[in-house]
Order: sequence, then C-alpha cells, then structure tokens
Amino acid sequence: MHKTDLTTLNTAPISWEAIEACLHRVKKPGRYVGGEYNAVHKPWDETALHVCLAFPDIYELGMSNFALEILYDVLNRQPSILAERAYLPAPDMNAQLRAAGLPLYTLESYRPVAAFDILAISTAYEQLFTNALELMDLANIPIRTADRSESHPLIIGGGHGTFNPEPITDFFDAFVVGEAETIILEVSQVIQENRALPREAQLRALLKIPGLYVPSFYKTTYALSSKPGKQEAQNDTQTTTIQPTAPEAPQHILKRLESALPPTPIRQLIPNIEVAHNRGVVEIQRGCTHGCRFCQAGAITRPVRERPADEIADTVEAILKTTGYEEIAFLSLSAADHTDIAELLTRLQERLAGQHVGFSLPSLRIDSFSVDLAESLQGSRKSGFTFAPEAGTDALRRRINKDISTDDLLKIAEEVFTRGWRTIKLYFMIGLPGETDEDIKAIADLAHQVRKIGFRLGGRKTEVHVSISTFVPKPHTVFQWEPFADRETVEKRQDYLKGAIRGRGLRLAWNEYTSSCIEALLARGDRRLNAVVERAWQLGARFDAWDEWRDPNAWEQAITEIGIDLDHYLYRRRDETEQLPWDHLHSGIEKRFFLKEYQRSQRGEFLHDCRSQCHACGILRNYPDLWMEEWQCPKP
Amino acid sequence: MSEAVTTNTYTHESAPTKRYRITFTTSGPLAHISVLDLGRVWERSLRRAGIPLRYSQGFNPRPKIQFASPLPTGCGGAAEWLDIWLETPWEPADIAAALKGKTPDALAVIQVNAVPESDPALSEQLIATETLVLLREIDLKSVETAVTALLKETTLLRPKRGRRRDKTYDLRPLIKTLEVETAEAPWTAKLFMRLVAQHGATGRPDEVLAALGFKDTPRRCTRTRLILGPQEDK
Repeated sequence: MHKTDLTTLNTAPISWEAIEACLHRVKKPGRYVGGEYNAVHKPWDETALHVCLAFPDIYELGMSNFALEILYDVLNRQPSILAERAYLPAPDMNAQLRAAGLPLYTLESYRPVAAFDILAISTAYEQLFTNALELMDLANIPIRTADRSESHPLIIGGGHGTFNPEPITDFFDAFVVGEAETIILEVSQVIQENRALPREAQLRALLKIPGLYVPSFYKTTYALSSKPGKQEAQNDTQTTTIQPTAPEAPQHILKRLESALPPTPIRQLIPNIEVAHNRGVVEIQRGCTHGCRFCQAGAITRPVRERPADEIADTVEAILKTTGYEEIAFLSLSAADHTDIAELLTRLQERLAGQHVGFSLPSLRIDSFSVDLAESLQGSRKSGFTFAPEAGTDALRRRINKDISTDDLLKIAEEVFTRGWRTIKLYFMIGLPGETDEDIKAIADLAHQVRKIGFRLGGRKTEVHVSISTFVPKPHTVFQWEPFADRETVEKRQDYLKGAIRGRGLRLAWNEYTSSCIEALLARGDRRLNAVVERAWQLGARFDAWDEWRDPNAWEQAITEIGIDLDHYLYRRRDETEQLPWDHLHSGIEKRFFLKEYQRSQRGEFLHDCRSQCHACGILRNYPDLWMEEWQCPKP
Repeated sequence: MSEAVTTNTYTHESAPTKRYRITFTTSGPLAHISVLDLGRVWERSLRRAGIPLRYSQGFNPRPKIQFASPLPTGCGGAAEWLDIWLETPWEPADIAAALKGKTPDALAVIQVNAVPESDPALSEQLIATETLVLLREIDLKSVETAVTALLKETTLLRPKRGRRRDKTYDLRPLIKTLEVETAEAPWTAKLFMRLVAQHGATGRPDEVLAALGFKDTPRRCTRTRLILGPQEDK
C-alpha cells in the first residue's frame, strides 16, 4: 500500500517452477531452495516491516554465521517484523539466475530481495566487500547509495568489517558499529515510522541511533603529506579530517554494546545440506581478556561477558529438543576462559548421557587445562588438536602478547599425543612487526620438534599440520600503525618454510600474498578505495576469499586504473599523530591504551590477561552505566 | 547347551520387534539434496521427535537407519521407505504421531509399520524403481521421437560416474519401461520409466534423460514406486 504499483508488482514471489528450472544445471542445488526446519514463514501482507538478512558468500558459509542466526531470531520474535534470508549464489547459479532474468530471492518466500524494506548485509570481513556489491546487483538494486531512493531497500552493513567500512561507504546507507541485537530493532522502527519520507530524510532520522554510522553525513578531506624524504607521489596523502556534515551526526560513533549477553536463539535453523558448521551453537562468552596485540576480534568485542552456567545448560537442552542436533558448539573467542566451563561440561555430559550428544570447543588455549577439557568431551574423535602459537620464538610472542613459551608448548604437545590425538595443527602468522629470519626458522624448528614428539609418543602415523597466514595490521588493534609486510619478504619467508616444513608427517598451508594484500588494503583503506572496490567488482572480482574464484588481475587492474598508491596504504608506518581513516569509529578501547601497548610491544613486554587486573583499556570508562556482574571487569 | 539355544530362540521369537518401516514422501526443496543429506535430515527429525534410535557401538556411533535405495539428488519421492531400529519397542502409530511437525515441510510421513528384525535389508529386496519425469521447454513430438529411437537401441554405453569416468556401462538393459505422455502446463511432456535397481545394476533417471538428449531440459523428477522382489508383477 505504501509502495507504488510498480514495486508492488515486483514484490510477488518467484515461482518454484522458475527456480526449479535452474537447479539441474548447478552444483549443490540444495543451497538455493530453502525449506529448512525452523525457518520462519510469516505472512507478507500481515507484517509491517520486511527485513532481508544476507550473507554475501555461499550458503554453506552463510548458514554457519551465528550473527545472522541471532538477528533472524531477534527480528522474527517481533510480531510486526518479517525477516528472511539470502546468500550469494555460487557462480554457476548466479549465471543461471541472470540467464533466466531472475533476481536474487530470499529462501523463505522466494521473494525478490529488492522487495524488502531493509537489506542487512554481513560485512564480517573484507573479502566480502565485492560480494556485497554482487549481491546487490544480482538483486537488481543499484549498488551506489546515490543511485537509490526510498523505493529501494535501506542497505545496512554489520559485523567486524564495519570497524573500518570506509572503502565501501558509497554502497551502504548505514553501518552497525558493534553489537546489532538492539540497533537492528531501532533501525526497523525508524524505517517503519519514516517510510513515506525521501531516503535522505530517512537517513537523517537514523542519525539519532547510537552506534549507527551513516556515512553520507560525513565528509572526508585529504591533504598532501608533508613528510620529508618522500618523493612527490601524488597519492601519498593522509586523511586529515572526517567531519560530520549534519548537526545531528556525532563526531565519534561509539560501538554499541549489549550490557548482558542477549539470549541464544533456540529454534536454530537446520540446513538440509552439509554446511561449514553443521551443529547447534551456544555463545558462552563474548569478548576476550587475553589482549593479543594483533587480534581485532579480541579488542572490538570487549568487555568479556560470560553467560551464566545454568543459562547455558538450559539453553543446550532446549536447543537439542528443537533441533535434533547431535553436536553443540560452545562459541567464544577462548572457551577455556569461561569460569565454569569444566564443571558445566561435566554436568551436561552426565545429564545427557546416552543421548548421543557431543560438544565442541572451537577455540582452546595451549595449556593443560584445555587438553583436559578437550579430553573430557565424550565422543570426540581426537582427530586434531589445534595450537595457535602465532609466532616461532618466545621473544616475538612477547611482542604480540601471546602468553606461551616454546618449552610449555612442547610439554603440552607431549600431553596431547600421549592422550591419543593423532594430529596437531599449528597456526602461525608471518609478517609480524619486528619479525626476523630467526623467528621464521623457529617456526620450522617448532614444527619438527612437535612432529618428533608425535612420532615418539603417538607413532609414525601422527601428523603436524602447519598453517601460515600473513599478518594484516587491523584497525582498532595495538598494531594499527604498523606497515603490512611487503611481497618480497613474505614470499621469501613462505619459500623458506615450504622448503623446511616437509617430509613424513608434516603438512604446510599458506595464503597467497595477493589475497592477503587485498585484505590489508581494504582493512586499512579510506574512502578513496570505494572507486577501487567498484572497479574491481566491475572487472569481475568476487569471492576474494576463495582460491578457485578470486581474480587478482581484476584488483591489480583496478588499482592501476584508479591510481592508488599501495605504499601509502600498506607499506608505511603510520604516524601516531595521524588521523587514521577509522578514528571516528570507536571500539570503546582508547587510542592511548593502544599506544601504550604499542610501546610495551616494542620493548618486548608482556601484558597479562586482564581478568586478574584491569589495565584500563577504556571499556569501563566508555560504558560506565552498562557494567554487570557477568562482566569480567572490575566494578567501576 | 541345547537348553540355552531354546531359550534364545524363545526370547527372539516372542520379543516384539524394534524395527520399523517408514513410508514417506519428499518434494520441493528436499528433492534437491543428496541421500547423505536426507539421512541427516531424517536422523535429526527422529531425534526431535524423541524416538530412541539404536546407535552403533564404537568411537563414532551412528544411528541404525537404512533407506531402501538412495534417492538421487534432483529427485523427489512419492513412496520412499526408510527402516529404523529403536532401543525400545514402540507402537507404529506412536512413531507417526511423534514425528508430526518434527520433519521439514517437504518431508511427509505416510505410514509406519513394524517389520521383523530378521527381514533382509530393503536394498537387498529391491529390484526396480519407477520414476515420473515432467519436462518443459521441449515439445511432445521431440520427446516421443527420442524415446522411440532410444528404445530401438540394443546397447547404450554411458560413462560411469565419479572416479571411474573413463569406463563405460550399458544403460539399455537397465531400462525396463520408458513411456511418454502429454502433461499439463507448464509441463510439455511426461516420461514414465521403470528402471532396474539391483546391487551393481541401478538405472538412474538423469542418465536416461541424458541418453535421450535432455540433459539440459528443465524437469521435475519424482520416484513414484519402489518394487521389491516378490511383488514385481503388479
């Protein structure tokens, strides 16, 4: 009723027959048909607001993203709101839809995504950015906000990537900075109330929502760098200002925070096909107190909020009833940190004995307690135990604040193999600040030492899988001022490791430099990168996280055409006084805390876990009224 | 010793069976998942229903459930069978009642029957399957011509699937019946096929379609009947 006749026509669902006609031509057609148990089907005409939640990658990844599961639940619990899902089809189905003239549709009602009032797209990580454009385009929605009106869905982004969304500000109307459980309802309300207004006025109305970033009300100016010694490269400029252009727009957008952990969804969607994480999930804890200096997730999700053990236990039982899942994962950044984890697992396994339910703890520390925990998981197959030492030497680990020594790591490796695991996975990063050839050699030595322990204690069939990723200095971390390692260094170190980590029982995996480079560019970019993202997408860049689908040439061409200076974005150390492109977005952690930490890092000083002592990162200062008993922070 | 045997036999014969046969249909979305996926869908549906499945022993216990025949991806079923083994005896009607609302919408339970534990596996009894294929974007005449031509062939060599793609097999003897009929819009033709389904000799509807030259033709496949040994002649 509120829409024009033309758009009302376009809200009609796509017929099953039209979808079905594509399916015999594509791989895994189960991705495109919906029909999952616990999917919510609400009458379109009887709900006032329609939200499409989209994950811009294939179904198998999107269905494993717990953030969308939470928002699906939050929205659909509102009687007046209908929320449905869409994912980005793989290239084969994408081609079928385009050939058939069909737009992207949601999996519940098969309605065109363009028919929804709000399109919320996950921008969880940088490699999703081009996919987000592809998703809009496949939905027949103009990718640029400037080309859209109130007759198009309002497009909002959310997820960790929004802590620097500057490279995609031309395409999104707004970004949720921080936790979305409450904001998504506030945005829904504002849109519902201002439906009749032009888009510009709708956006203005959204400015009153704390934690929502509406980029069109901010103007950036760039001035030439005056750094001495630098040649007059035209692009070597610095962001000088990010200024609000409306009085209602706040200078700084402080991340939105839920005081207590919102309830975990119970009626979780059960995929009909195999997906990345095919299991029930209980988020037992949000945030992390370890303070690893490279880790963006740990920083931006502070403070640590534990879900009370009784609530977890009740949630597990409720989920098992409504899903039939045979496995429940305890989601957190460091599961062993939860105060009651051991007792909770014992209690749950006793209570559920004989019901063939397994538990998994996706993120464990390297210590005896974690090994005990993993061993206590009945029915776990002991296939692989994962260690993430991140760096090869104690010295470099001190710099990145990863609290584990090589000696201790080897002791834990002995325990792991003694207790029957066959494989240890070791995760490292290369290109870390202050890294030397010694640190790289130490990675290979460590891999060999662990393999020897495996052979000695677990036999010749044990394996060590080493995974080497390339460090990307992320915004809102201690290392945000650091340069990204250059190609020569990274590839030289990768080559060394490829030569050194080989032989029986050893396996090595690494990332292509170009892929990490694009991630780094987008992570550290400013608004001038919008043109690059758009051009790369036009040239065919999609699925940038996928080896088989990504197109590095498209990126290279786009970077050349637009004339972006990679030195400026990637390879220079940023000055501590420089305004960073993401400085107007605030994670709650103070810049001066990061700076102090940065200095400690350079001195090789360790800063211990803040559960025992508060290091005044800024969370308590910025959220004085939200503190609760469940926070692992002292009472302010 | 003979006494022990007698006791065993007695227990065996008088104990109520804990094996049940579920007749079910799949359609729409669930026609487009693999048989492995369908197994997981069933396992979770049964767990949601609180039906105590019998699990295997060992490190990775699996519930004992068996399909009569794997339903190919892209094919719905109008009368599929699943055998399940439980920990305790249940009334078949109670199983059906417990499953109400616990399966995805596109999976419907038609009937539940008790089956003697000692019955051979369904897959061993199966000899043939019947499938209806609706076709569109192709005229009836072309389908009739293709079917007539195909049935005249005495051999139809097709590449095997998966890893043995370099080898061929003969599809022709696996086709027992292949008939064309008119269909209602939007469909233009309806194919009825009865295919051999025995160990090592199973005809697949998509293979027949490919042999007819309809690999790319939009279709809807539904397996309509599973034929067990003794009931072959209807």
